[in-house]
Amino acid sequence: MKIRYFIIRRLVLMVPTLIGLTLFTFVLLYSLELTHETQLVSQYINPHSKDIAAQLRKAKIALGLNLSFPQQYILFLERLVNGTWGFFPTQFPMFGGLPVLEGIEKSLPNTVQLAFFATLLSVILSIPIGTYIGARPNSVSDNVGRVFSLVGYAFPVFVLGILLQLLFSRAGVVPRLIGVTGLPIGGTMPTFTSPPSWFRAGTTYPTHIPILDGMLNGDFSFSWGAFIYVILPVLTITYGLLAGLLRFIRSGMVDSLSQEYVKTARSKGVPESWVIRTHVRRNAMIPAITVMVLAFATLLGGVVVVEDIFSYHGMGLLALNSVLDFAPYGVLSTTFFFGIIIVIANLVVDVIYALLDPRIRY
Amino acid sequence: MDLTVEATLESEIVSKKHPRAEDFISTLKVFVKNRIALAGLIIVVIYAIIAILDWVYPAYLGIKSGFDLSDALVTFHMSTYLGKPILYPSPITGSLIPFTIGVSYGVPPYGSGAIITLIPPTLHGPTNTPGWWWIFGSTAYNLPIFPVMLASLKWDLTYTVVIVLIGAAIGTIVGTFAGFYGGATDEAIMRVTDIFFSIPFLVLAMAILYVMGVSINNVLLALIIIWWPIYARLTRGQALSVKSNKFVEAATASGSSRIRTMFVHILPNVLAPVFVQISLDLGTVIALFATLDFLGFHYTSIYLPELGNMITWGDQTRYLFATPMNWWPFLIPALFLVIFTIAVNLLGDGLRDVLDPKLRR
Repeated sequence: MKIRYFIIRRLVLMVPTLIGLTLFTFVLLYSLELTHETQLVSQYINPHSKDIAAQLRKAKIALGLNLSFPQQYILFLERLVNGTWGFFPTQFPMFGGLPVLEGIEKSLPNTVQLAFFATLLSVILSIPIGTYIGARPNSVSDNVGRVFSLVGYAFPVFVLGILLQLLFSRAGVVPRLIGVTGLPIGGTMPTFTSPPSWFRAGTTYPTHIPILDGMLNGDFSFSWGAFIYVILPVLTITYGLLAGLLRFIRSGMVDSLSQEYVKTARSKGVPESWVIRTHVRRNAMIPAITVMVLAFATLLGGVVVVEDIFSYHGMGLLALNSVLDFAPYGVLSTTFFFGIIIVIANLVVDVIYALLDPRIRY
Repeated sequence: MDLTVEATLESEIVSKKHPRAEDFISTLKVFVKNRIALAGLIIVVIYAIIAILDWVYPAYLGIKSGFDLSDALVTFHMSTYLGKPILYPSPITGSLIPFTIGVSYGVPPYGSGAIITLIPPTLHGPTNTPGWWWIFGSTAYNLPIFPVMLASLKWDLTYTVVIVLIGAAIGTIVGTFAGFYGGATDEAIMRVTDIFFSIPFLVLAMAILYVMGVSINNVLLALIIIWWPIYARLTRGQALSVKSNKFVEAATASGSSRIRTMFVHILPNVLAPVFVQISLDLGTVIALFATLDFLGFHYTSIYLPELGNMITWGDQTRYLFATPMNWWPFLIPALFLVIFTIAVNLLGDGLRDVLDPKLRR
């Protein structure tokens, strides 16, 4: 089993990156100790106590702030593995006073939902359109596609998001003109006076992914309500994603159109549509699939702007709020978490690539 | 007879232009043929001229731009604008409207103490709709959009160019070094860039700004820290392929030192994709600059002309979605930004077509 050795080798190669990532996060923490010491310690101090100085000393010792750099690094790694990732400050929105991991646990499912729909939509759209365009290089449709992807590439995400809000939200232009109820301008899921019975302690149950949970509990109207909140953010993300994917698939198609095996297939008398579908597209799709996996992983962490515009409570907004509302452990954890996701995604991509492309030597 | 032949040969050689110059001219011809890229170039040049004029003739738009708050206090009475005096307060020359002083909206004291901003009492939304007098209308703070938008290019473009050029310079040298020397150096540098690539760059910028505190200098520093790895990875691959060429071997054989070989023989040959990347990054960075302001990292005060600033304050829901909609304070600066990013991308695409020899043949 060669693939097993490849995976093992790839896992070993991941180690230095992981060490680098933890070291980088730790350097962030270490510099926070210099600049934001009060914020780091404040969680562990009772402000009503008489002897603040003693409390401060105790808190510093408990956090290991009195140790040397390497000792602190070891302690940091230990806590990373233990799952003691610190707390949010008490005045933090949504997760005040809660452990950081709980915040991630409740935010990640929302982002997963967003990333899933965005990736799905862009894949569904990009494969047929990319194939169509790539099979006809330099035609009118190709130029239209190029302009489309170029504009999508160049459009700042926040401008696009607000434009969509301006057009399609409840107070937007289109609903005003044709008199329909628009989409919600922001939010994660519908608010209600009395939550459904399966809804527990501020989150859905059992997976925390609202749409999926609604379906699992047979509450399809809830799922539909939550889906409506996802539409605009998903469209915003999809445009940028689609632009990149189209560009990628097109260039892959054009590259493989000039390959010898395509000439061979055509000279054998294989019908053109068959050539495009099986000989050209399949080979063009191999790099595109890896890009899609990476895009999904990036979306899990990289949708800060979209989540901010639509006040959608996912990982991106958690990271942003951590920074803006002084949650040092939130900043560290989200940064590290995103890094881990992408490192793992890179591993997955390499394995997929090796599985799909027999030319890869591993 | 031999002599004459030699003489004619020599004259031929002399009459010929320098090969690099010839190559450059042919490249230019190919580029000019690409009409879309040329349009991109023209738009970028127009934007650049607006910004450069502001450097040469400061405040020619009636607005002095800067990122310094004290600067703003003195200069933000645009009484010269279009002959129509704007009742804007000036603590130096006597105030026209009384000021209220408060801690600014959501700008947290990032370690350096609260940022005090001056908030005028007239906060009742965009007062002037677009018309012939106010070309593009005015903002919620009654700043005329058109000249402020133009004036904002001065610093936006300057900082963008500074970030991209410094990032490109650092990244190119580090990447060429890694690719040329190879071995452990290469591995170490590439692992470092791996870390930068594994964290989404916006999150990375946010984390760095959290640690360092929000100010314009720190934003510059953070973006440079984020931007160099892209160039390092790009030039490293390029240097690896250039390294195996015969002329590098020849240079080494004729006694060129490694440093000299790297700078004289390798570096010029890795620059083509760097130029393409620079032109594409100009758009990304100016948008990122605006995005950071939009997300709440206010490194300027609202009185200072900055595109992100204008877009951010144009997007206040209570104004934007009022009836009738106050679309212009958001949409006009936003489109102004989008036109630039699109133009830069067109330019970058054109450059790629020209500089990538694979596509040219």
